[in-house]
Amino acid sequence: MLQTSNGTMNQSQVENKRSMLTPEQSAELKKWLIAVALKRDKQAFAFLFKSFAPKIKSFGYKQFNSEALASDLLQETMSLVWRKAHLYNADKGAVTTWVYTIMRNLSFDMLRKMQTSKEDCLSDDIWPIVDAHAADSDTEAFSDHLLKQQLAKYADALPEAQKQVVHGMYFNELTQEELAHQLNIPLGTVKSRLRLALGKLKQQMEKNS
Amino acid sequence: MIKHHPKHELLTAFVAGELPAALNIAISAHVEMCEQCQHALAALTEAKAEEVFSVEDFSVFESLNSDLADELDELMIANITSQKGEYTDELVDVRSVDYAGKQVVLPRALNSVDWAKFQGVGKLSRARLDLDEGSVRSYLLQIAAGGSVPMHTHKGYEVTVLLDGTFEDEMCTYNKGDFIWLDESFTHSPVSNNGCLCLTVADDAPVFTEGLSKLLNPIGRFIY
Ligand SMILES: [Zn+2]
Repeated sequence: MLQTSNGTMNQSQVENKRSMLTPEQSAELKKWLIAVALKRDKQAFAFLFKSFAPKIKSFGYKQFNSEALASDLLQETMSLVWRKAHLYNADKGAVTTWVYTIMRNLSFDMLRKMQTSKEDCLSDDIWPIVDAHAADSDTEAFSDHLLKQQLAKYADALPEAQKQVVHGMYFNELTQEELAHQLNIPLGTVKSRLRLALGKLKQQMEKNS
Repeated sequence: MIKHHPKHELLTAFVAGELPAALNIAISAHVEMCEQCQHALAALTEAKAEEVFSVEDFSVFESLNSDLADELDELMIANITSQKGEYTDELVDVRSVDYAGKQVVLPRALNSVDWAKFQGVGKLSRARLDLDEGSVRSYLLQIAAGGSVPMHTHKGYEVTVLLDGTFEDEMCTYNKGDFIWLDESFTHSPVSNNGCLCLTVADDAPVFTEGLSKLLNPIGRFIY
């Protein structure tokens, strides 16, 4: 479970309508998102939801001039945050940037549906959420990106406990100590799970190369 | 070497999602080829996200009493977290166009767009993108080697993104990746000595300005 000390961005703060972007708060958002990615942590998700909901709703209201559609945008955006949390890449930027991209893309497709006869969803190709642009321009980053994709594929086949550790280390870029803290397990357990997982991954990659 | 980029204001509007789809696609196509604009875009998106999510929230939902709002939130949270968390990013297809005997890979932004068949007049051939945006029209335009577009100006704006090859006008030579924005203050007659493939967006038909070309005015509809 999430430590209570993590919950400083609490209800009253949201209602006080303060900016949520001090470095501490940004770090907190990241911690919650990673907890969702690693453990499907519902409490952490609720914190994220309450931080973003008022702003997503007022953004949606400005776009659509409708409370119902603003509420749809909130539901759709936060659903994708829940379902895609494991794809969030800490080295690609802040949580706010990631959530903004998801929200702006959904909103663009919704508006387009209202204004044209088209049912196409163009936004994810116009503004790719996984930063494919940056990867293409730099071969080293690109091969690193490919390797990560490959790793992600094999990691999916690992037992849940080992998968969590691999994801935390390589996709969310946590240290082993941070992982131990996040997963609430001893450091030694993190190390042994990682050793097991890497052994299996190495086998898989050798078999397929 | 890319020398022509979208203006800062245009990138800002792109990040905010305020532009028509056709312009978004043109900008995205350029950005995919332009490292400089990728960096600019990353910074602008980060700044926009901070702005949107830190705005003082004078909620438009004050009418709802807050207990009810909380209950609705709880309901939505429960609904969302009952979904499975798995989501795999699909591999992105690459699309291409055959022109001048070769295959040119198209920018990702065109992945989910349909376009009509290419139709040609002389050395020009174009296919209209099916975006349904009223007066904003967008085409894939091929100019065969030695082909040119008659001297014209514009009522609105005209954007050209060079996807392959080169072309020249009175002002300069343009290369692959260049993003060229022209409005009514410019008159030009592009020529492509070696052939090229472009993506064009215009919000009004060009007006042909001189001599014989005036007779060709209907071609304006055809090209942009
Ligand atoms: Zn550029």
